[in-house]
Amino acid sequence: MSKLNSIPVAVPVVQQPSGGAGNLLANVFDELTAFCRSRSLFMLHYCTGCGAIELPPAMTSRFDMERLGIQPMVTPRQADILLVTGYVSTKTLKRIILTYEQMNSPKYVIGICSCTVNGGMYWQSYATAKVLADYMPVDMYIAGCMPRPEAVISGLRELMANIRAGRSDNWKDYYRHYDHYLGNQQRLFGENWQTPTDVIGEARHYDQFGPETLGEHTALLERHQTPLLPFEMRLGLGSESNK
Amino acid sequence: MRPENYPSVSQPPSNEFELFYGPNHPGIEGNYALKVRVHGDEVTSARADGGYLHRGFEKLMEGRLWIQNIALVPRICVPDPVPMEVCYSLAVEELGGIEVPLRAQWIRVMQLELSRIAAHLFFFGGHAATTGMYTPMFWGITDRDLILDLFEELSGGRVYHIYNIPGGVRRDLPPGYLERVSKTLDYLESRLPDYDNLLFTNKVFVHRATGIGAMTQEQALDWGVTGPNLRATGLAFDVRRDDPYLVYDQLDFDIPVEAAGDAWARSLVRRSELKESLRILRQVVAKLPHIDGAIRAPIPNPLAWNLPAGDVYTRVESSKGELAYYVVSNGGDKPYRVHVRGPSAMHAVQVLEHLATGARIEDVAQIMFSLDACPPEVDR
Repeated sequence: MSKLNSIPVAVPVVQQPSGGAGNLLANVFDELTAFCRSRSLFMLHYCTGCGAIELPPAMTSRFDMERLGIQPMVTPRQADILLVTGYVSTKTLKRIILTYEQMNSPKYVIGICSCTVNGGMYWQSYATAKVLADYMPVDMYIAGCMPRPEAVISGLRELMANIRAGRSDNWKDYYRHYDHYLGNQQRLFGENWQTPTDVIGEARHYDQFGPETLGEHTALLERHQTPLLPFEMRLGLGSESNK
Repeated sequence: MRPENYPSVSQPPSNEFELFYGPNHPGIEGNYALKVRVHGDEVTSARADGGYLHRGFEKLMEGRLWIQNIALVPRICVPDPVPMEVCYSLAVEELGGIEVPLRAQWIRVMQLELSRIAAHLFFFGGHAATTGMYTPMFWGITDRDLILDLFEELSGGRVYHIYNIPGGVRRDLPPGYLERVSKTLDYLESRLPDYDNLLFTNKVFVHRATGIGAMTQEQALDWGVTGPNLRATGLAFDVRRDDPYLVYDQLDFDIPVEAAGDAWARSLVRRSELKESLRILRQVVAKLPHIDGAIRAPIPNPLAWNLPAGDVYTRVESSKGELAYYVVSNGGDKPYRVHVRGPSAMHAVQVLEHLATGARIEDVAQIMFSLDACPPEVDR
């Protein structure tokens, strides 16, 4: 088991020391934030695959996820957890990446079912993406085909403990290694793949801009992205050639 | 956001706008989407957008052994997996000329009906939730769990059982199993008046569901509608009675029919089917202890099992409608071609597009749930 834990799931994250190391008040505030965050997780309501069928029992009276403060939420903007419940076909993966990028940080990704770990039952399928961690950082895997509601709840409790202890910050990894993730996405969707989210700008905003944020793949992004138009052209006052 | 990536498109002034209904939407059943054009709150056109759950089942099955495919088929329809296993097993048995022992056939019928009840309980929950009532959803899902417990005891899996294999079933009933089934049936029967009070005679539900998503019998037949949705338009067609498989010809049950063809009629048909399934299960529970014998016919070494060349079409009645498998063998150890005729593919594409057009935007979710389409089965 300890051996399993030592296997890095995604690209290893370099832990930066917290800013308020010497400030007692800041530490208390950080602890309080982590506690509150871990006790009020909003889970995005997106059923991507078969695993979604075990979520209604986990959410409703019998297993009752809500006693842990976990609730379904319908918009990605207000959600904390993205549950990827099962296999992701290529078409779904595009939507998942868009959804993930729309969510506000800190955000957590849970891969439920074996299919998100290694393709599972559909390892030879032409239509599914096999390893979810290639396309976005995953905080927690709940393996099984499909995991029981108890397993789902146990996984969520572990995530809560991780958040409380400040261990679960894989969302920073997406900004630090954006080039790596974008490269994998481009390999699947073609080199003109782009999302409406300005991830590089967000990386600067969250102070996560690192040496591996930019690279050959983000350079491709710059080439394919429509350049910023002058303000009057965006209002439709200028020439129509850019439409 | 980078708004510059999305230049504005000039179009004539209009009150219409296009709305993406799903795939990430609480009112959609699974990973499925509709593109609807809305004028005010009226839907002027709807276009189904599937493919989010496409895994290429029919291709995957060509690359696996006959027996390996048993693990694959229940994944086609997640809420109601047993008919998938049974239908595929029936096809393989017919190709290989295997006679299934009588006891296995009765156990299969029990599984099929339990699965139908579970799927219908899930359906009530979903349909009620789209009309804003969440209590039936909580009740339905909790009662469905009792059936999942029975499945788990029998096969080890709550949702996917892999219990029916070509030749019979995997293992015999554990001691005392039928008493526990009987107890669960008693409990479910005692819940039916509560469901009626809460949902089926509830004024909110009746007013919301009456006249919504109505289709005539001719339209239903044209569009390829089967199962409870067809019976809600007044045609008593049920594969269990009209083309009996397993031991359904020895069982006594009725085919509930409603005339209106709207969402209300569809939910009433399923409500009556729940009762009929309970009735079938009572007969099975009474009959099973008197049937002795093997639970599995001997099959050759499954790792080197070549079925004779030929093709076969088998169909069963799943909780969604008529489910069929067309299996072609060229004499090898793997299927040459498998085609799955899923009922939801018809319900969720052409029927849903027609019924949603002209409906109001708040009823679209209800129409989709009342058709009881299963997106994984649409895309396969």
